[in-house]
This record gives sequence, structure tokens and C-alpha cells, in this order.
Amino acid sequence: MKEVVLLGHVLLGAACLVTTIWVFVDVLNAHEGNRVRIRWMSRAATLFMWLAFVVGGYWYVVDYKADKDVILKGPWPLAHNYFMETKEHFVITLLLLATYLPIAASNNLVVNKEARRLVLCVAALVAVLALLAEGHGAIIAMGVKVALLAKPH
Amino acid sequence: MENIPISKHTISFGLSVALCAVLNALLVIAKERSKGLEDSMQRITGHHWITHVAIILILFAICGWGIGRTNNGQGAKMPIDRLTGILCSGVVAGVLIVLGFYVIAD
Repeated sequence: MKEVVLLGHVLLGAACLVTTIWVFVDVLNAHEGNRVRIRWMSRAATLFMWLAFVVGGYWYVVDYKADKDVILKGPWPLAHNYFMETKEHFVITLLLLATYLPIAASNNLVVNKEARRLVLCVAALVAVLALLAEGHGAIIAMGVKVALLAKPH
Repeated sequence: MENIPISKHTISFGLSVALCAVLNALLVIAKERSKGLEDSMQRITGHHWITHVAIILILFAICGWGIGRTNNGQGAKMPIDRLTGILCSGVVAGVLIVLGFYVIAD
């Protein structure tokens, strides 16, 4: 069950990343034909981010303690001391940005160049932070793996 | 310059994102530097991180709605490019503070 929760967290995060990039590309080419889609995709990005956050938060609070103990006894304690510590905090900013994305996208992006620029910046920040979170998650998982591999058999 | 209006919540919640990103980083530092604060946050919800998230989300909602109600209910007014600059600066500063703090924290 623990693995399913963790995999769900990663997949939902990736879904948020993909939908955000979709929004970014659509906004670059904003016209009447994709205006509604931009709004729906930005809402989808928010939904995926919230689900990823709640699922990841559940895993962090309920299941992570065992992994943390393994990481700290292994050769990569930084996987917790730096990467988990930073990830658990900057994802809060990512959640705020993803929540804001549909608010910014609710304006008429077809005629308003400045509003379009705002949405592009927000989408770019969401994408960069989501990628950063995915990378941090990979290093944390690697921290567990190298610790287990380093255990005497 | 274009003068096409945007929703008041675009400005108010945009400013709220910038503010809360920085407050989030400052709360990280305060929590890591004060064991008493972390213990208090731990007691409130059972986990310091849940309390941390709750505080930031509540602040985000309050600031967003609050700024939206200023100016006789019309919300704060500013050029959109300025809002974009403030939002990006706040978010980048907040994230860099968190990433930088843990480099020197241990």
C-alpha cells in the first residue's frame, strides 16, 4: 500500500507538470479556439497538484519515518537532511502557484498581452518547481536505495 | 500600453502568492531555529509540517481575499507587468531562501 501511495504521488506530480506545460504552450498560441481549453487545463493542473500534495503529504506524515531512519544510517544522509527538508517546504510555494494558475488564466488572454505574460510566468514557475520536486524525490528514493545496498548482508 | 482590465482576484491572489512564498521561507527558518516553535506547531495538529502548511494556506486565503476587498471593494490596482515582477520575485526569493538555508543550517 505504501508503494502505491508513493507511486500515486509521483504520477500526480508528473500529471501536474504535463498539464502545466500544456497550458504554457497553449498560452503562447492563445486564440479564441483554445481559450476554454486553457482554463480547463489550468484547473486540471491545480487539481493534480492538490492531489499530489495530499497523497505525498499523507505518505510523508504516515510512512516516511521508516525511510528517514534508513537514509540517515546510510551513505547519503543528505537525501533527508537537505533534499527532503527543502522539498517538504518549497512544495508549499508550488501548491500556492498551482492554485493561482487558473485565477490568472481566467482573464481574457487572447486580447491581453500582459495577462498572457503573467500566466506564462506562473506556468513556467510551476513547471520548474515541479521538476525540482521530482528531482528531489528521485534523490530521496536513491538515498533509501544506497542505504539498503550498503547494509551488511 | 494596453489597458484591458483583469479580475481583482488576479492581483490580490498574485500578491498573496508572493507574500506567502516569502513568509513560508521565514517560517521555515523560525521553525528550524526555535525548537519551542516547532514543538508548538507539532502540538497543534500532531505534525509540525501539517501546521506549517495550514498556516501558509490560511494566510494565502486571508491575504488574497483581504487585498481583494481594499480600495472600496475594487481591490488593489497595479499594472499587470508589475504584478508579474512582484510575484516572480517573491516566489524566487522564497524558494532560494529555503534552498539556501538548508545549505548552511547543518
